[in-house]
Amino acid sequence: MDHSHIQVSGLRVRYDGNEILHGLDFKIDRGEFVSIVGASGCGKSTLLHALAGFVHKEGDIRIPEDVGMVFQNYAVFPWLTVRGNIAFGLSGIGGRQKNVLIERLINMIGLATDANKYPSQLSGGQVQRVALARALATDPDVILMDEPFGALDMYTREKMQTWLLNVWEADHKTVLFVTHNIEEAVFLSDRVIVLGQGIILGEFLIPFDRPRLEKIKFSPAFVELKRQILERMQQSFLQPTTPSGGIYHDNGKFSAERRREEEPYDQA
Amino acid sequence: MLSFGAMKQIIRASLSIIAFLVVWEIIARIGFIHISLFPPPTRVAVAFLEMAQSGELLRDVQASLWRAFVGLALGSILGVVVGLVTGRIERINNYLSPIIQIFRPLPPVAIIPLVIVWFGIGETSKLFSIGFAVFFPVWVNTHIGAREIPKTYLWSAQTLRVRRFELFWRVIFPGALPFIVAGFRTGIAIAFVMVFVSELAGASAGIGYQISVSHLAYRVDRMIAALILLGLFGASADLILTRLLWAAFPWLKLLGQK
Repeated sequence: MDHSHIQVSGLRVRYDGNEILHGLDFKIDRGEFVSIVGASGCGKSTLLHALAGFVHKEGDIRIPEDVGMVFQNYAVFPWLTVRGNIAFGLSGIGGRQKNVLIERLINMIGLATDANKYPSQLSGGQVQRVALARALATDPDVILMDEPFGALDMYTREKMQTWLLNVWEADHKTVLFVTHNIEEAVFLSDRVIVLGQGIILGEFLIPFDRPRLEKIKFSPAFVELKRQILERMQQSFLQPTTPSGGIYHDNGKFSAERRREEEPYDQA
Repeated sequence: MLSFGAMKQIIRASLSIIAFLVVWEIIARIGFIHISLFPPPTRVAVAFLEMAQSGELLRDVQASLWRAFVGLALGSILGVVVGLVTGRIERINNYLSPIIQIFRPLPPVAIIPLVIVWFGIGETSKLFSIGFAVFFPVWVNTHIGAREIPKTYLWSAQTLRVRRFELFWRVIFPGALPFIVAGFRTGIAIAFVMVFVSELAGASAGIGYQISVSHLAYRVDRMIAALILLGLFGASADLILTRLLWAAFPWLKLLGQK
């Protein structure tokens, strides 16, 4: 039986005649936390935008309709308070039920005393917590997160990672998390997909138990996994790519051979 | 309670105005220029009181402020609505913008003779002229503001299931508001210029009218009193309307402080 919640097959995205994503294939199971890592410009954000339906795409994409999105650059609305931002997507819900939900989310993000403040009065970490609460308010099936902690300082970022894990462990939503930070990806995820120059370079299952503590970042296994992912990311700089087909594998091993078999002209 | 910084600013502003008035009084009293052509501020103050006591001042102020307010409201509302539409709907923008861009460089004063031919010298022509002049800065700012809204705001709204029409008033209008306010403040200054000019072109009341009749009677003191009043109203209108906007949209002030 197929448990996949998101199924992507042959995903291609073009901007101004340039192909950014060259036919990606992957699946994400219900309740799985998957990170996409890759260098700047490799197509990570484009992949999320394609899944959310923001950009024109080709390929077979199966994703639930209710998708919540958190962006890197604080896309909370500056004209609304914390409460107003969280309530934004709840216009279809009745008064009392809506208020209970909003209060629950405000408490969840720890901003009960700042509920009437505007985003410009909050810190970067607080703003991103509001963004996540707003995305969670409509109870989406899938959460897409586009480098949500990318603009935060290292200390705040680490605090936010732990906070996000606690939130996620409460209801195990399906999450697709984009980051260029390998440590963050390994710490948060069940699985890490490595993207480079618009193709999938590899995939790593994360073997650490949950709940996870900060200290696992210093374990030899964690450090080794980071090294392996980094090595895989570097493939995109070492290996020439073609605009057709991705390098995809199911077992955590690099499968360039399969691609060569399919595309013999690439040998030249 | 005013802060120490605000008090200091008020004292500085008051001192500079007092110094200006003293220098003006001295130069006018020395007599290089005849006192009736270059009256000192004390004479201007007397003329001001004279106008106030006769009831002319109240009548003129009421007429001018009403014209400025209505013209500003008409031009601004139209400017915001058209700006939001041209800023976000490319197809409408392709049709409307070329026409607006042809009219935009026209000095608004230049249309007054034509407006008088069309509407006469009554209130309609004045309100039309003021509204016409205010429309362009408000439109261009709103148009740019609506275009510049970060995609992430629109995408967020999309994932939160906001319908297209709702998007205009829930995201695009507030998102463009900082630009709209900038256009509106330019519009306030232009509205007062147009009030003055349109009243010069024919009116039976108003500050511009007062300046015009004082000119015919060689009452320079009354002309200067009316000019000062016009300047004060322009500055106060900007201050008051900005404060009102901040009260209605407190986040705008916070953004400005960041």
